[in-house]
Amino acid sequence: MKFVSTVAMFALMVVGSPVWAQESIGFVKTVSGDASVTSAGKLVKAVPGTPVHVNSVLKTGPKASMGVTFKDNQVMSFGPDTELTIDEYLYAPAKGDLKFAASMSKGTLNVVSGVIAKLKPEAVSVKTPTGTIGVRGTNYVIKVEPQ
Amino acid sequence: MKRSGYWRVALAAGLAVLILAGCVTRPPPKPPSYAVLLDNPDGTTGAITITGSRGSVLITRSRFGANLDGSAQACIFDQTQLDADFKDVLAARPQLPVSFMLYFEGTGTTLTAESRALIARILAAVASRPVPDVSVIGHTDTLGNAEANEKLGLDRAQLVAKLIAEAGLKVSELTVTSHGEFNLLVKTPDETPEPKNRRVEITIR
Repeated sequence: MKFVSTVAMFALMVVGSPVWAQESIGFVKTVSGDASVTSAGKLVKAVPGTPVHVNSVLKTGPKASMGVTFKDNQVMSFGPDTELTIDEYLYAPAKGDLKFAASMSKGTLNVVSGVIAKLKPEAVSVKTPTGTIGVRGTNYVIKVEPQ
Repeated sequence: MKRSGYWRVALAAGLAVLILAGCVTRPPPKPPSYAVLLDNPDGTTGAITITGSRGSVLITRSRFGANLDGSAQACIFDQTQLDADFKDVLAARPQLPVSFMLYFEGTGTTLTAESRALIARILAAVASRPVPDVSVIGHTDTLGNAEANEKLGLDRAQLVAKLIAEAGLKVSELTVTSHGEFNLLVKTPDETPEPKNRRVEITIR
């Protein structure tokens, strides 16, 4: 806890605005058309810089696309009419805490894996209605037809 | 001529194997849910596994993929189909993160001259991105115990963060953390001094 607050204080010191470093796990970097990020039940229109948290629901409209970069350097992009929930995200290698789990209900996705997949590949998964994708340090695409 | 004839036979044999494996069914009437492995941005190829209600498939070759229910073996996907399904997705991919490694003189807290010279390039890389977030991660070698190394990594990371902040860093968010001895650049056994592992990694996203 002491460590986390030191980090947060440092971030505040440097950025000079109330950004809670320990809460966001990534940021929206690209958006085209209507896309949203819903965190703790609150929907916000996605723009470059919108933070992503554990349990965030990422959604794109019928003609939209969006790209998100995570703290462990994993890069994800979403095609039109796509919905994905971040179920778990742990990124503290010094503590051995490494995990990425997401559920994708529909749409198209590209993932370029980051440090979590490099250090602990078995801790990374994307669940879909018909099957689960596991990774070993990789770039891949997924298409999920709505059930 | 004889040589090219041989390759034609080999190619035909290869195709026959693909046909036997059930790969001629693509594209199916209604495309199912599927995943496809692509080359990594650095040119290497990783692997994915697909585990569904009807089986499990390991994919280790670029542009090979399979249905998400695990019902069929991996097979190569036509570029036309990949373009049709994933063109928008790949166009939306954010700029890949870029990392810089900074090193210290000996085991101390003074940056090497080469590393000091990188600071201007780091600031330029930050400035070139629309909404940059930056992480400063301290790493150590495996000499000493893990807890002390986590602390040492954090000390070095904070030092570097202070330096780049003073040099005029402007970011949406800066995080300063330590991976201690658990994210080695050069893999070594425990209790091994390795200058390349004693580093601070600055990543710009």
